[in-house]
Amino acid sequence: MNNDKNSIKDLKSKIETIEKKNKNESLPKKEKALNFGFKISTEIVAALVVGVGIGILVDKFLGTKPFGLIIFFIFGALAGFLNIYRVMRRIEKQ
Amino acid sequence: MASSGEHSGHEKHSPLDQFEINPLVNFEVGGVNLAFTNSSVSMVITVLFITLFLTLTVNPRSIVPSRMQLISELCYNFIAQLLNDTVGDQGKRYFPFVFSIFMFVLIGNMVGMIPYQFTFTSHIIVTFALATVVFIGVTILGFVNHGIRFFTFFYIPGVPFYMHPLLIPIEVISYLSRPISLSVRLFANMLAGHTLLKVFAGFVVSMPFFTGVLPLTFIVALTGLEILIAFLQAYVFAILTCLYINDAYHLH
Repeated sequence: MNNDKNSIKDLKSKIETIEKKNKNESLPKKEKALNFGFKISTEIVAALVVGVGIGILVDKFLGTKPFGLIIFFIFGALAGFLNIYRVMRRIEKQ
Repeated sequence: MASSGEHSGHEKHSPLDQFEINPLVNFEVGGVNLAFTNSSVSMVITVLFITLFLTLTVNPRSIVPSRMQLISELCYNFIAQLLNDTVGDQGKRYFPFVFSIFMFVLIGNMVGMIPYQFTFTSHIIVTFALATVVFIGVTILGFVNHGIRFFTFFYIPGVPFYMHPLLIPIEVISYLSRPISLSVRLFANMLAGHTLLKVFAGFVVSMPFFTGVLPLTFIVALTGLEILIAFLQAYVFAILTCLYINDAYHLH
């Protein structure tokens, strides 16, 4: 009888410690997800800003009006994907 | 704010009022406006706090550190470890640079969390200036280490030759986008967080009866989250600086 009680108590404490562990792990995960999403979006936007900026400058100085913007917009978008690929690879390594 | 509100009866309070820059001492050199603003006051407070805190707490140099000395040593170890992990032995040289940037951003964010204090990191020009310093510094470092061979950073080996006209512009744009993504991340996080706090603070006053308690509790929780973000963004800024320094040493 006494032995049973002890084993149940042990089980209870075990469950509690595991639950605590899970809680501690799940909280930073949420924060990480938030930060991660933000990171990805800024990477895309930043590359696009640079691409469009270069495109507008090229058009201004070479007088190739729509084509510089179009080409460098596409380059910017691709660079954004490249940035994300790099971020993902860095996370995979960890 | 409160005193001017009393005079004009009911004044409109925008959640964006907190980001307004007010010159305190007007100062102009050769047509360039160099006024001492509330933003400058925040920066001076930040720098003074960092300097005083770090020098005074480490001053006793006791082997068994006091609590405050422990905090200073914790900051030191944190960045030293970060540099060691990302760059390696060569990274030790850049410790002062990364440490100053980390402390400036971290304490700047924290000073912004004090009510009525101005958050200078919520202005894109401040974060962009910081990111540009990092970007230009790292580029110069790359050229010093590798000379003209630094340009091979944009060249990906093992790719068919006809792909290079496509890949090199992409690599260059990706490299140029670094300071923008670095600065926008910090600035947008601080701007969004502080705006959200003020919007909910507006709800506390405008909601009827006792229901204002609900947004108030939410603000308390949000303030905790903001302090976490303030630390996290300073950390991200520091770790990305380390990664860029690493890139300047090891091409690919």
